[in-house]
Amino acid sequence: MMSTAEVVTVQHLVKGYGNVFVVNDISFSIREGEIFGIIGPNGAGKTTSVECISGLRAPDAGSISVCGLSPQKDRNKVRELVGVQLQESALPPRLKAGEAVRLFASFYSNPLDPDELLESLGIKRFENSVFKSLSGGQKQRLSIALALVGNPLLAILDELTTGLDPEARHETWSLIERMRDRGVTVILVTHFMDEAEKLCDRLALIDHGTVRALDTPEAIAAQAGGSRVRFIPSQPVDEQTLRAILGVNAIERKQRYVTVTGTGDLAPSVINALAALGVQVSDVEAQAGNLEDAFLKLTKDDASTVEGGVET
Amino acid sequence: MTGSRFRESTSHRSGVRFAELLKVQARLALREPYGPLGGIALPAVLLAVFGFIGRQVSGNVGDTGLTIIDLWTPTILVLAFLYIAVSLPNTLVRDREIGWLRRVSTTPLHPAMLLAAQLILDLVLAAAAVLIIILGGALVFGASLHVQILPFVISLLLSIVEIFALGLVLVALMPSQTVASAVSGVVVFVLMFLSGLWVQPAQVGDPLQTIMYYSPSGAAARALLDAVFNGSPSYPALLTMVVYTVMFGFIAIRYFRWE
Repeated sequence: MMSTAEVVTVQHLVKGYGNVFVVNDISFSIREGEIFGIIGPNGAGKTTSVECISGLRAPDAGSISVCGLSPQKDRNKVRELVGVQLQESALPPRLKAGEAVRLFASFYSNPLDPDELLESLGIKRFENSVFKSLSGGQKQRLSIALALVGNPLLAILDELTTGLDPEARHETWSLIERMRDRGVTVILVTHFMDEAEKLCDRLALIDHGTVRALDTPEAIAAQAGGSRVRFIPSQPVDEQTLRAILGVNAIERKQRYVTVTGTGDLAPSVINALAALGVQVSDVEAQAGNLEDAFLKLTKDDASTVEGGVET
Repeated sequence: MTGSRFRESTSHRSGVRFAELLKVQARLALREPYGPLGGIALPAVLLAVFGFIGRQVSGNVGDTGLTIIDLWTPTILVLAFLYIAVSLPNTLVRDREIGWLRRVSTTPLHPAMLLAAQLILDLVLAAAAVLIIILGGALVFGASLHVQILPFVISLLLSIVEIFALGLVLVALMPSQTVASAVSGVVVFVLMFLSGLWVQPAQVGDPLQTIMYYSPSGAAARALLDAVFNGSPSYPALLTMVVYTVMFGFIAIRYFRWE
């Protein structure tokens, strides 16, 4: 099946500078056609990981395969297949947008038609502007065009929307979705949780050079115990009863209110379990776990892991 | 699918690539004309200045048997090469600093091709400067050329290679465009002096004369002067340039970085 083919396989990747390991035993694989997010705090090793995938850096240990090829040994073939947008990379200030796209098209064996690409990304109307006169949003459009013009199977986008205003960010998001619709597999490095939640099919949360969580955004948010239900029980319920309910991790009481936090679809399971004991609940307020909470939880405590149960 | 992507002839592809790259680099050079202005316009102005001075103060400068325009034509050639060479760090250090070389290295094009394209353009520029200065000096201001083609071409090529290698040393060592342009300014100024722009080595005594003759720019001016007006190469000057070229080449290669 095409849809389950792996475009990128990273196994036990290790990369250090001097004595410091920036990436310390990272493994994941990326399926064809998905938007794969890499999230994590600054300095977590996100950029280093994707630089190893794109062949810009050689791993110290571990293996990387891109479409069955090695980014180091098959340098030129991998560069034909992978389009890259680098964090903090500018163009010569007087290079025109259209010139840049046509120039990059000439680097590849099987490029897209530059004019069609300029049209579809909305660059046509500023193709004769020089790079230094472009707005942040225009620069990012151009960046996407340069990553796509080689007709890649895989596009690596590193902090594409950093520094953009909300409107430009939303425009960029729809460009990324259209990229996926063309059949391009996308690696999206970001530190915006809303971006990861909205765009990514799966996420790797990286911290201190290791993978902390690897799943869909929803699953990571839920597993990390971000869900919260607050209610007033019709009669007092003891701690043990609440703890026995599937998914509950922590209990807090404030006056008559009881707040439980935990994982999964918490509200129905709490209400049903209490109803079975003859306890009615009122004033129910439920909050689904969000990725941001999960992110903070998973990166704050070094010892915590997704499966690591109890949190307070 | 992946198989068909690589089937196309790679030599044809790289030819097309390089032509496209040259075209874009040339356009960029014209939009930021450090090299063309310094390498063509400034020498042309200096040629006119020394040409007119030469008409006022005719005759034998410092017992050399040569006129002012004769003596200064090689110096102006060297100056043209110097200005073209220091435009290298101006563009390449900037391109490295802003991440452009790194960006290009994520494509099938090796960034060395960018460097090659830039060097080729600068060689074309140097050739144009040579034509303008030699023809201008001889035809307009009557410099008395007795060119021996072989020594002249050897001196010319060696001067260009030596001075371009110095430009690449700056590219290799300078951390940023700001530092590069400050340092290049000083280097150009000192080397202009040593090539004899203000006072010719023939007009000064030792030790300054020796320092000038054995400096990178003074050796180039001396070799060119001998090749153009005396009809024979100056072997010490040629040898001096070879030594500098090897030294500069070694440093440039040893310390060059793409990012």
